[in-house]
Amino acid sequence: MKEYFFLLSSITSAMKGEEILRKKGYRANIFRDTKMNPYGCGYVIKAFGEKEKLENVLKSAGIRINETRESR
Amino acid sequence: MGMETAKTVFKCREKASELFGLSNPENLVFTKNCTEALNIVLMSIGSEGGHFIISDLEHNSVLRPLFELEKRGKISFSVARTFEAEPEKTVESFRKLIRSDTKMIAATGSSNVFGIKLPLEMLSELAHEHGILFLGDLAQTAGSEKINMKESGMDFVCAPGHKGLLGPMGTGILAAERPELLKPHLFGGTGTYSLVPRQPEGLPEMLESGTLNVPGICGLSAGIEKILETGEENIAKKEIRLAKMLYGELSKIDNITLFTKIPEKETHSAVLSFVLGDLNGEETAAVLSEKGVASRGGFHCASLAHHKMGTEKRGTCRLSIGPMNTQEEILKLIGIIKSLSKKY
Repeated sequence: MKEYFFLLSSITSAMKGEEILRKKGYRANIFRDTKMNPYGCGYVIKAFGEKEKLENVLKSAGIRINETRESR
Repeated sequence: MGMETAKTVFKCREKASELFGLSNPENLVFTKNCTEALNIVLMSIGSEGGHFIISDLEHNSVLRPLFELEKRGKISFSVARTFEAEPEKTVESFRKLIRSDTKMIAATGSSNVFGIKLPLEMLSELAHEHGILFLGDLAQTAGSEKINMKESGMDFVCAPGHKGLLGPMGTGILAAERPELLKPHLFGGTGTYSLVPRQPEGLPEMLESGTLNVPGICGLSAGIEKILETGEENIAKKEIRLAKMLYGELSKIDNITLFTKIPEKETHSAVLSFVLGDLNGEETAAVLSEKGVASRGGFHCASLAHHKMGTEKRGTCRLSIGPMNTQEEILKLIGIIKSLSKKY
């Protein structure tokens, strides 16, 4: 289990993603992206789990992920 | 927008989506009123041309955007005759107007002047049988009429926040099951993709440029929560019971003119139009106001409805009953109108 950061552009998508991940039993939190991503203002969902599974949960809910980063 | 604020706004999206049976809360857009929401849908769909069908009870917020689009040479539209308390005849009337290029049927849930309901689910079904989009104007029925967009197949619904949803003025909702067909009417800051000049795609941000009316949305959220707790069915039952009581007593007064049949839950919302003696609608509302009664006189931004009912010269005075009204208030109102009827 690792910690991943999913970069999203919409606060609404981030809220929805956080809620869906929590409903599936994952630890998830959202916060504003402070890394100044190339798209401009963004939001991050921080979640613990397997990358593919987490991404699938988000994608199946129609959430567009701009970038996935692994915690170092 | 701060995180806590964003969460509050998102909660309101979720509650409103639950109320309307919308598949995805992201496709719930906050607008400044129902008119703006209706304009977004009609102008988006109408920009590609085609033929529209509306009812003869529509508010100007449906009529005028279509009139404007027709004036620009973009679309054409037809007005279907409706029949009070006769849903099958009303649906038939719409059916007869369908053409090969008909793109959308738009209909109000209930006349904002006369409280005559239209069979939205049947009209939505009719639209889909012919591959036509359906837009429901829930200005008069949101909060007192159960709607399930997923089950009924309604493509778009619009509602004001300040009427049956019990929210503050200056709030409105657009719920979309076909979000890909909508186009932005305002361009600007969305708090997303800030370094990209192009307006972001995807709802709700694409249609929510500029600062949101967060205080209004918080109030709307509380209103919707109250409706979810009480249930539309219970609200409608209470409102119609009071409307029937009012109608029953007003119909016994000689110099009161009523314009509809006695309201029934299936066919009417709790809105009554009337005039007193020889007074017109504005004058009737003015004498009621002197007695402390809040009503609305005039033409109610609904030229089609007034022409249909023959009240285009005199207007009417509209009494709207809400979920907070009590039997005592209705009895008091009946007493006031009885006393005024002796004078005018």
